[in-house]
Amino acid sequence: MKVMSVDDSKAMRDLVHNVIDLLGFDFLEASDGAEALRLLEGQQGKVDLILMDINMPVMDGMATLKVLKSDPRYREIPVTMVTMETEKDSIVEAIAGGARNYVMKPFTQEELVGKIMESLGLGDK
Amino acid sequence: MSGSTQTSVDAISECRLVQEYIERQCGIRIDDNKMYLIKTRLTALMIESGCSNFTELLVKEVDDRTHTLRDKIIDAMTINETFWFRDQSPFVVLRTRILEKMFGEIREGRRQSIRIWSAACSTGQEPFSIAMTVREFARTHPGFSESHVEIQASDISRTVLMLARTGRYDSFAMGRGLPPELRDRYFSHDKRVWQINGDISSMVKFSKINLLEDFSGLGKQDIVFCRNVLMYFRDDLKSEVLTRLGELLNPGGCMFLGATESFFYTEWQKNQGQKMVRGQDGVFYKIFEGVVQ
Repeated sequence: MKVMSVDDSKAMRDLVHNVIDLLGFDFLEASDGAEALRLLEGQQGKVDLILMDINMPVMDGMATLKVLKSDPRYREIPVTMVTMETEKDSIVEAIAGGARNYVMKPFTQEELVGKIMESLGLGDK
Repeated sequence: MSGSTQTSVDAISECRLVQEYIERQCGIRIDDNKMYLIKTRLTALMIESGCSNFTELLVKEVDDRTHTLRDKIIDAMTINETFWFRDQSPFVVLRTRILEKMFGEIREGRRQSIRIWSAACSTGQEPFSIAMTVREFARTHPGFSESHVEIQASDISRTVLMLARTGRYDSFAMGRGLPPELRDRYFSHDKRVWQINGDISSMVKFSKINLLEDFSGLGKQDIVFCRNVLMYFRDDLKSEVLTRLGELLNPGGCMFLGATESFFYTEWQKNQGQKMVRGQDGVFYKIFEGVVQ
């Protein structure tokens, strides 16, 4: 499995990286939506999950989500939005726009693992 | 009543509904002073599920025959505090007294195996601590093999079970109670992560179990670790679960309890006619039929 974290905060990407390492998955990171799209291109779209912040410079999470969901190469990749509690309205919009689910900062390791499992359709027994 | 006061009353009654729901589903009582956890932990799930309040979320859960939503709610609300060799004393007693006695029975042909259940294993530290204890015992007892021991581990949370099954831990988790010599003996280190060795992880079989439901399918056990779980349960549920745990134990078996969980066993043990022994460091453990005198 390959998971990409898209967030302008290095600390947040490191936190996600830590969890992805625990799960034994491969990790990719980008600091904004534009960089994420370039990385995806390089991976021929072979990424299993994208964890994406909403507020980012250059290209934010909502704009990036729109591009992903309108591109046949990427539209099947599940996207988990990583948000603040103050961004509830954006989240409703993101779910309507095709995001699989979201995780609210600050989150625990277990919460993030739960979202990743759900997004990847991993078993629960 | 003003609009904001009404909203606040509604929010409180909604949190009460969730509080009762959680207790009904998994026995965990969320104290009134921790009610804020319901809001902080379940708001995301509520919005994702297309609900505008907790009442709608619970109604949706009732309609969900796959129980996926129920599992997610329970996952979000459970407590997963754990350490390696937590309280130390139970593991010392396990190695120096219980395994010693049961191994003696194996040598004498009076016992075939030793079955151990870690009933709320969280991310795996407790069952892997048990497995390492067994391994250490085997190192000093020729003729004793890990194949004599079967370790089962369960939790109600799918999420922590997934982490437990990986057997992978970050430096923070590794720093909580694991002696360096055992870390070096039983783990490998790869960049940011410590991986438990396959010969230890293969000793533990994980499964999802809700202690409020029937767990007799696990089969009879010789040793049960049920620590720091029942302290979150209502008194009548504590007693009910304890009784069923007791029924699961083979004669001569024993049950380890949490360090702060002794008080509610006093009444229970009177009813059961069992003996409780206080271990070192204030840790209580329940002994059946005098395994440890």
